[in-house]
Amino acid sequence: MSKPKVGFFDFSSCEGCQIELTNYGDTAFLELLNHIDIVEFREAMTETAGDLDIACVEGSFTREADRARLESIRKRSKIVIAYGACAATAGVNALKNHQADYKENVYGKDAHMPHLDSSKALPISAAIKVDYSVYGCPMDKYEFLRIVTHLLHGKEPVIPNYPVCMECKRRETVCRYEDGDHCMGQVARAGCNAPCPADGIPCEACRGFVDQPNEVALVKVLKERAGFSEKRAQEKSRIFTAALRSDSK
Amino acid sequence: MNVYFLKEHDFNSFMSKMIESKKVIGPVAKKSKFVFDKLESPEQLRLDYDVTILPPKKEFFPTCQKLVCFDGNKFEGCINPQEKILFGVHFYDVKAIDMTDHLFSEKNQDWNYLANRKATTIVASNIQKVSGRAFFASVGKEVGPKGHDAFITKINGGYVFEAITDKGEAIVKFGKFEKASDSQKSEAQSANESMLGKCPEKLKYSSSEIADKVRKNFTNEKLWEEAAHDCFSCGSCNVVCPTCYCFDVQDDWNLDQKTGTRSRYWDACLTEDFSKVSLGGGHAENFRESRGDRFRHRIMRKATYLNEKLGGPACVGCGRCSSACTADIADPVNVINKIMEAK
Repeated sequence: MSKPKVGFFDFSSCEGCQIELTNYGDTAFLELLNHIDIVEFREAMTETAGDLDIACVEGSFTREADRARLESIRKRSKIVIAYGACAATAGVNALKNHQADYKENVYGKDAHMPHLDSSKALPISAAIKVDYSVYGCPMDKYEFLRIVTHLLHGKEPVIPNYPVCMECKRRETVCRYEDGDHCMGQVARAGCNAPCPADGIPCEACRGFVDQPNEVALVKVLKERAGFSEKRAQEKSRIFTAALRSDSK
Repeated sequence: MNVYFLKEHDFNSFMSKMIESKKVIGPVAKKSKFVFDKLESPEQLRLDYDVTILPPKKEFFPTCQKLVCFDGNKFEGCINPQEKILFGVHFYDVKAIDMTDHLFSEKNQDWNYLANRKATTIVASNIQKVSGRAFFASVGKEVGPKGHDAFITKINGGYVFEAITDKGEAIVKFGKFEKASDSQKSEAQSANESMLGKCPEKLKYSSSEIADKVRKNFTNEKLWEEAAHDCFSCGSCNVVCPTCYCFDVQDDWNLDQKTGTRSRYWDACLTEDFSKVSLGGGHAENFRESRGDRFRHRIMRKATYLNEKLGGPACVGCGRCSSACTADIADPVNVINKIMEAK
């Protein structure tokens, strides 16, 4: 059997998730290359390819002009993976959907350059059909490996739809709330094995929400147990989930 | 079997000798909380713990347990039980272990659990400090602790050690034990009994009254929806529960794409996907779709469904679920007393 052809593509993003792919270390990365053929990867090579078995798309869909490029990737790929938070959930990019003055704040005097024109930041699923998502900012390279491995064996990859709390409990991390802190692990999609709370840092839900987050209860707990003001509690989860919240624009 | 006494100043040398020759698991501090972990020295042992984050069942039924190792089409079981001593288990956790022993051995024996369980010696200990949400004195009073090999109780000037089985008796060789006097035995008994009066929470009804009324409220949808209003479906109440035993099985290939393992992970019926089943063709059905359905299922499992099998409720009053629930809606005492007091 010939090796599956895999391509990497980027849209609005920092391209950090593609860089994360090189962080496996030589042994794991080179071993992976024994099983897949990376035929298109702007970060590392100049060649382009035709038909693909798997397209990994990083970045959000933020410009109507990008739709055609996304559609062409979809057309020549058997499987499309939304690769990382920006592609899977629109990630931090979607914060701008709630701001009017972001261009002036970010680009100053260059704010009106035409190439900076963009519309709302959306997950790529707003433009094309997505088969699988690798969540996280950055994506978890071991989860990506697990998904690719399952696809190589023709198996359906299991992507958790339970909150980060499960993973904290399984590894007996002392709950941030027990430490007088706040956390959003109750609504955040697991799959990362909860490294942040284990290091004493609250979960910011970088992997987005579970399918049915209890946003009302989150606001209540942030107020009652973490002492947040109403406004802060209401806005807290927006950082990585602006396009997933019930008030998304 | 025999009842012994060990002087306070001989305790650490007893522990040291045991740790030198056996793998010993006991309660140790983790920040402001406690966990069961492998002891490297007697000083780590905290018999004054209130409750641990996870129950000690993880020693026989790990949160992630490798079941089968495969290489292409060849496969073999990879359970590798190690002899160990589980030291300092409170009586409510002894009760819970007895329940999971039963649940994993009825009908199809689950050797992945039982092999580890059989390799373990359990030394129970008296409760020196009660956790803030405990209600062990008022739940399942008809079921006593059993299945442990020894019971150690702190009294003035030392410890009373009751050997219950041969495995428990075998531990005595590690320390300078002497026969306990009648007054030491009765001091130990009253130390254990007095803790029952110190639970901060209390169920006000008998197990059978609770089982009947909870079951009668199965169709009271309003009650369950209200109780679950703030539920995150996070599964924390399940994962910390000493009597929960559901798991999910998954396969993982190694990088060579040829070898790999089949493992089981603790699962949780409060999470949304737990009751999602395949209908084939990429379709699925969730038979407990709402938060209320899932919340009800947990209370039914704890208060009624397993009572006949276990002789009482599948809850031992440790209070772990109550403190693990950030929304503070999981406390069985609050839920059950509310149901009992409703018309």
